[in-house]
Amino acid sequence: MAVALNPVQIMKTEAEEERSETARLSSFIGAIAVGDLVRSTLGPRGMDKILVAMGRSEGQIEVTNDGATILRNIGVDNPAAKILVDISKTQDDEVGDGTTSVVVLASELLREAEKLVSMRLHPQTIISGYRRATDVAREALENSAEDNSANPAKFREDLFKIAKTTLSSKILAQHKEFFSNLAVDAVLRLKGSGNLDAIQIIKKQGGTLGDSFLDEGFILEKKIGVNQPKRIENAKLLVANTPMDTDKIKVFGSKISVESTAKVAELELAEKEKMKAKVQKILKHDINVFINRQLIYNYPEQLFADAGVMAIEHADFDGIERLALVTGGEIVSTFDNPDLVKLGRCDLIEECIIGEDRMIRLSGVALGEACTIVLRGATNQILEEAERSMHDALCVLTQTVKETRTVFGGGCSETLMARAVMEAAVLIPGKEALAMDAFARALLMIPTIIADNAGYDSAQLVAELRAAHAEGKSTVGLDMDGAAVNCMNLVGITESFKVKRQVLMSASEAAEMILRVDDIIKSAPRKRTADQGQC
Amino acid sequence: MSKMPMKAVTLGARGQSRSEFKDKEKPAQIRGSNIVAAKAVADVIKTSLGPRGMDKMIQDGKGEVTITNDGATILKQMKVLHPAAKMLVELSQAQDAEAGDGTTSVVILAGSMLETSQKLLSKGFHPATISDSLLHFSSKAVEVLESMAIPVDLSDNLSLLKSANTSLNSKVVHEHSGMLAPMAVDAILKIVDPNQDKNVDLKDIRIIKKLGETVEDSQLVDGIVFTQKTQGYGGPNKVEKVKIGLIQFCISPPKTDMDNTVLIRDYAAMDRVLREERQYILNITKKIKAAGCNVLLIQKSILRDAVSDLALHLLAKQKIMVIKDIEREDIEFVCKTLGCRPVASLDHFTPESMGTAELAEEIQAGTSKLVKVTGVQNPGRTVSILLRGSNRQVLEEADRSLHDALCVIRCLVKKRFLIPGGGAPEAELSVKLTQHAHTLKGMDAYCFRAFAESLEVIPGILAENAGLSPISTVTELRNRHARGETHAGINVRKGSISNIIDENVLQPLLVSTSAITLSAECVRSILKIDDIVNVIR
Repeated sequence: MAVALNPVQIMKTEAEEERSETARLSSFIGAIAVGDLVRSTLGPRGMDKILVAMGRSEGQIEVTNDGATILRNIGVDNPAAKILVDISKTQDDEVGDGTTSVVVLASELLREAEKLVSMRLHPQTIISGYRRATDVAREALENSAEDNSANPAKFREDLFKIAKTTLSSKILAQHKEFFSNLAVDAVLRLKGSGNLDAIQIIKKQGGTLGDSFLDEGFILEKKIGVNQPKRIENAKLLVANTPMDTDKIKVFGSKISVESTAKVAELELAEKEKMKAKVQKILKHDINVFINRQLIYNYPEQLFADAGVMAIEHADFDGIERLALVTGGEIVSTFDNPDLVKLGRCDLIEECIIGEDRMIRLSGVALGEACTIVLRGATNQILEEAERSMHDALCVLTQTVKETRTVFGGGCSETLMARAVMEAAVLIPGKEALAMDAFARALLMIPTIIADNAGYDSAQLVAELRAAHAEGKSTVGLDMDGAAVNCMNLVGITESFKVKRQVLMSASEAAEMILRVDDIIKSAPRKRTADQGQC
Repeated sequence: MSKMPMKAVTLGARGQSRSEFKDKEKPAQIRGSNIVAAKAVADVIKTSLGPRGMDKMIQDGKGEVTITNDGATILKQMKVLHPAAKMLVELSQAQDAEAGDGTTSVVILAGSMLETSQKLLSKGFHPATISDSLLHFSSKAVEVLESMAIPVDLSDNLSLLKSANTSLNSKVVHEHSGMLAPMAVDAILKIVDPNQDKNVDLKDIRIIKKLGETVEDSQLVDGIVFTQKTQGYGGPNKVEKVKIGLIQFCISPPKTDMDNTVLIRDYAAMDRVLREERQYILNITKKIKAAGCNVLLIQKSILRDAVSDLALHLLAKQKIMVIKDIEREDIEFVCKTLGCRPVASLDHFTPESMGTAELAEEIQAGTSKLVKVTGVQNPGRTVSILLRGSNRQVLEEADRSLHDALCVIRCLVKKRFLIPGGGAPEAELSVKLTQHAHTLKGMDAYCFRAFAESLEVIPGILAENAGLSPISTVTELRNRHARGETHAGINVRKGSISNIIDENVLQPLLVSTSAITLSAECVRSILKIDDIVNVIR
């Protein structure tokens, strides 16, 4: 029969399939390329990238060192590469830091796996070896973790060190002591609630990074109405979302018909009276500060001024929700029941100048946890990057407050795990041992890259590091201020246990997932016209 | 940057060869291209440094021409494309925001430091080492600058004048510096409280530009200037013993927020409506007059006429000067200046809410008219400057120069120290830091010495722009500083080296320190970049 001679076609014409070796190769290449892209940003001496935007905001540039930010912005087409981008994103959401390490580790694991595959090891063997190695490494990590949560002074120091370690690879490195203190103070104010909403970060161009500060209150980037008090003590705030021009009838096309101008004038007056009544109702709440999300028009503004009430208009949505949260009030829209409304409170409201702009500062707010970090910096890029770094530090710290264990950084934990894995590998008869050795080598790549990025002799340093660990000095890591290995406890390079564990687990999971793939099927694309935004 | 080699990773995706990320280049190449681009930017504005610096004429896309000597303005107009060059543009803007002056020198310094870095890189230094050394260098430089600073008191008018003069000397308008400098000093001193303020809100100084006459006719107005002309025919255009009212309501036929229609059934009714309308407006104007107001400011209204023709007529008849279309954002400034309160409804229009002044008069300025209010009783800390110029370019440049001068004085309010100008601080830094480099060891010492030398670019270019021999001038300068003459600088007028303090060339410390720290910060971040990634957003 003629039909039988044709090749059997199962899929649509435009669908594609890559099989076994080709599929594996394409995954390896994709994942390793992504790893190579971000590996130079790893560590305290890591380099930065310029991101040049194409498309809509063409020509805008962003300078960053944050792995997640870089990966989020590049467009990836390779499925394996996409998995790595995803784990970096998850890492960012989950713990906020280690976004580069996780990608680098996963890509190193795959690089090792590629070698093993070419040595005719079956991927499933590699996977089971990797799994066993992961278990050993995690156990080693857990055993090395320390917990200082019982001792507040020591715990604070731990937090400080973690913040310093996180920040040392970022733009804030120059002022890391200062910013670490800022971050620790801010997080400790939260008293473990981990609600980062209560920490507000304001960016103001001008000055240098060293001019940044932590303000105990809450800062609103708004203006106080004309002729109203600029300073109020023991403020009682009403936070509202209500139109302050007129309460319009919503029926479409409603209209007034009158017979004379005098009547129109009367109606105008009536509208004004209505507004006045609304203001009176608001004033009945016994308040001295009124903050509205919408505009406050001239007339009500003057009425508030006459009553000696500070009225702040057009506080944007974010601002007003946070304001309600920190002052302990609620957002109101009707004013008929003054008794039922919960008012916000704070000790002092005053105007302050930050940079070139006047802002309103609320200090001593009901929610004592709230605070504002004001970042100053020369250019916009510096500010953006500073905010990202600060965010990372805050995330890691809140995570550490929840999971109080800490481990040592600077490649120390990786070496420790690598050693444990290697020791375990020796005891295993079978091919899995090869995979475990590969796993250990991949772990050791982290200190190697850190040293490489700093421009030091990585082979020498990593060998020294391994030797020290073999001697049982399990706190030794890389000290990148001087090209040497040193006790991490002395240098104070500490990382959160949770971040490290997350890096290990998700990197090995991702590597395993990619290894298991032996067939890539791309479905026929949906027909559509050219679209410039692929991602 | 046009050609970036595509990375040759073909993934066989749908037959298109597409890499993981769009483009990638080797770190050393990237760094090289960044440095070349940034240096090109510095080279462009090199010639506009110093009192004998040249101006640039820039034509923008629409054909508008700008002539300027101000580094920040030149760079902003150039619209550079290269990302690293863009960072230099932002650097000069940062200097503009921080100190307001020295926007050219900061870019030249950064360019020179980058050149040095490139040499160091080619010798095999790791960028991180250079970057660390630069940080150390800049903090040491600030120390040296602070040690040579001369404290200044804000009551010392002469020193303030000298520094304003130094800033204005390099501008097109420098022949008017004798007039603009005192203006800048007076303006700042008027709005600050020398004992308390650590900062100056330049928004309290309003600069009004009007084409016509010459820069010499510019004036500092002790009061306020409105660019709007007076309204109404037959009204007064000069009022003495002024009572100013500022209203936010409208003097026009009533209008409700809801749609309204007036139904007219017969002729008599029409007549009545007209009469009532007149009566309504007359009523308002009478009340305004009764409160004793003779100058009326009316806020701009979008929804309806802020003031109708009939109202204007009636107000003119009652000898009330009317200025309309005051923007809502300006209300605060006006209130602060005149000591009045905005009035949002007729009931609140009382004598207490009005401000008092000596004189309000309409003056002719070129083709348009201005209203000037002077002799304000209990005035706020604000001031207005009326700038004049014979053509638009001069006027714009005068505005920028005056802004620079104001910033210089503001720097002195922020940090009350002066240092000599004329290349003296850079020469001193270069000598002192080279000496310091001898006490260091290792790579740091090498970088330190190289950067110390790179600072000499400023006196070099100053000399070159003034037509002197850069080599002999710089070497002589270095010599004098090595002998301990801290204040020796290039005297551009006489074409020699002399004690620059005697020549009254002084500048605020803040300008120099921020130039050094900002340019070092910028160079460090350029050095740290090893990749340019194109992203889709």
